[in-house]
Amino acid sequence: MSTDSRIITASVLPPPRSVTGIGGWIRVNLVNTWFNIGLTTVFGFILVVALWYGLKWVFFDADWRVIGTLGGRIIIGQYNVEAACPGRDCFWRPQAGLLLVMVLLGMAWSVSGGGLTKRIAVLFAGALVACAFLPYGLDKMGLDVRLLFAANVPALALGWAIARHTRLGTVSWIAVLAFCTFILILVLLRGIPGVPYLKPVSVLYWGGLMLNLLLAVVGIGLSLPIGITLALGRSSRLKVVNLLCVTFIETFRGVPLITLLFMSQVLVPLAFPENFPQNSLVRAAIIITLFSSAYMAENIRGGLQSLHPGQGEAARALGLPVWQTTLFISLPQAIRNVIPAIVGQFISLFKDTSLVYIIGMLDVVEMSRAFIQGNPEYLASAKEVFVFLAAVFWVFTFTMSHVSRRVEQHLGVGKR
Amino acid sequence: MTVYEETVGVEDIIVYKDVHKWFGNFHVLRGITTTIKRGEVVVVFGPSGSGKSTFIRTINRLEEHQRGDITVDGIAMTNDTRNIDTIRRDVGMVFQSFNLFPHLNVMSNITLAPTKVRKIPAKQAEMLAMELLERVGIPEQADKFPAELSGGQQQRVAIARALAMQPKIMLFDEPTSALDPEMIKEVLDVMHELASSGMTMIVITHEMGFAREVADRMMMFDEGIIVEDGPPAQIFDAPQEERTKLFLSQIL
Repeated sequence: MSTDSRIITASVLPPPRSVTGIGGWIRVNLVNTWFNIGLTTVFGFILVVALWYGLKWVFFDADWRVIGTLGGRIIIGQYNVEAACPGRDCFWRPQAGLLLVMVLLGMAWSVSGGGLTKRIAVLFAGALVACAFLPYGLDKMGLDVRLLFAANVPALALGWAIARHTRLGTVSWIAVLAFCTFILILVLLRGIPGVPYLKPVSVLYWGGLMLNLLLAVVGIGLSLPIGITLALGRSSRLKVVNLLCVTFIETFRGVPLITLLFMSQVLVPLAFPENFPQNSLVRAAIIITLFSSAYMAENIRGGLQSLHPGQGEAARALGLPVWQTTLFISLPQAIRNVIPAIVGQFISLFKDTSLVYIIGMLDVVEMSRAFIQGNPEYLASAKEVFVFLAAVFWVFTFTMSHVSRRVEQHLGVGKR
Repeated sequence: MTVYEETVGVEDIIVYKDVHKWFGNFHVLRGITTTIKRGEVVVVFGPSGSGKSTFIRTINRLEEHQRGDITVDGIAMTNDTRNIDTIRRDVGMVFQSFNLFPHLNVMSNITLAPTKVRKIPAKQAEMLAMELLERVGIPEQADKFPAELSGGQQQRVAIARALAMQPKIMLFDEPTSALDPEMIKEVLDVMHELASSGMTMIVITHEMGFAREVADRMMMFDEGIIVEDGPPAQIFDAPQEERTKLFLSQIL
């Protein structure tokens, strides 16, 4: 210990040994009272038992081969079955869409300069490339499929290089390109009549994780702007606007999503002529988006109400007109204050996409359930399938909440 | 109603004629008639609830008056939003609770209104902002966020933000009442410098030392009217009204 501290000032001492280090932490938090010693023992026992049996099942008892049998159906559903795509050569289209997403992710990595974006990009690209080396015969997983999986790493690098060496490497360009890419992917999946290699594939056959993600992206992308509009409308002094927004919000919040989806299936066709083109995917996307917008509107309204009235006064005193005050002062603060609620709504929306089974669409959960039901020899493996699906959903939702926490830190929520 | 015949001189920047204001049934301003000249520094004081805050908030239409006429720099305060916008551009305001925008850094707080409202190019606005930050003595804080500054520093940023619109009039609504004692002086010093540069200022404050030193005129508000209006020498040394005497005896 240094001894240069002078007597006249209160000397700065290290905390007592008993509260520092691992031993100190255990003493202070786990075994500080008889009650806590009891709790620690009970929960420690439960934890050990759960881990023992859980891990034993995962590594020794479970038969994970069923996942391999499900294979590509988990990702694209029935997109590539003979009925959907005669010749079964449509598998490259979802994979090409995935490559486009990877290019965007590479650009985002370059623009953000590493950090979390880099880790997410590397993790997802790595998982996809690992798919290229799955130990199946070439008859089950062709060389072309494997090559397209492996191409995700070059795609990531390409995106990174584009952002680094061209003018496209800005956040606004990436946003524009992301929108274009999404439209392009939809066209690619749907196909164009008469164009070779792009035979139309009916949306009835779109399924698997691809369907969940498409619905989630549309829902997340549209429900935030629509929700903001509704929230501003609900705070409007114009009676008609206010009434319309309140009616919309309360209607869509007051009815279960399943009921809305079911109604869209049964009632909407009645409103159109018999031969009017009907598209169950579009209907589902609209219902999910509107349902989520109603909740989003209330989240944003909560954020708007949390603002100090002085903020609006200061903006008005500076001469900012109402729309600029809303755009530059109120909304940024309101949204920042309710990021946890907004992301909660995004996560809930993503999980709710599996409810589209109610209108006969084969999302990843329904796909797997139908597979097990149709192949009784796999009935015993249902456990493995659903544990695997839970893990898949968890990876996506955990990524979302992790990103949101990082965004909050970046914006200094709660600190400034 | 009384008819006012005086002509408004160019040196008169704010003209109030029999201005009334109600909050519901509560009669806050009960006939304010006064004229403030270009370059005058006016200190407004009085007990709480006397309408002094409402008075200065009617100057830039943060509060709407319901009777009487207000003219600011030759522009009549009507419901015409163009008039209101013009007046707000020319009137800066500093609040008791600073009201800085917490999601923007100091630089953006200052440049937001000049670039969006006055359409000044960003580069030029930033140069102006740096000049103002130097004037209020905290150029090194430009990249910080409001929550990272002390109260006195925040209030000085708020003054710089108001000055960035190059206003003709500055309103101060109890600018030092939310500050710790050791920070009051740094804000008053900035206001003192601003007053000596010739800015028209209306200041609600109970910092009587500042008032005696800087004010050209003092207005004592009580129960919605101006009870007494005169130079600091008169207010402090020979107050004409009993209420002024009583109030000053309570706070001095």
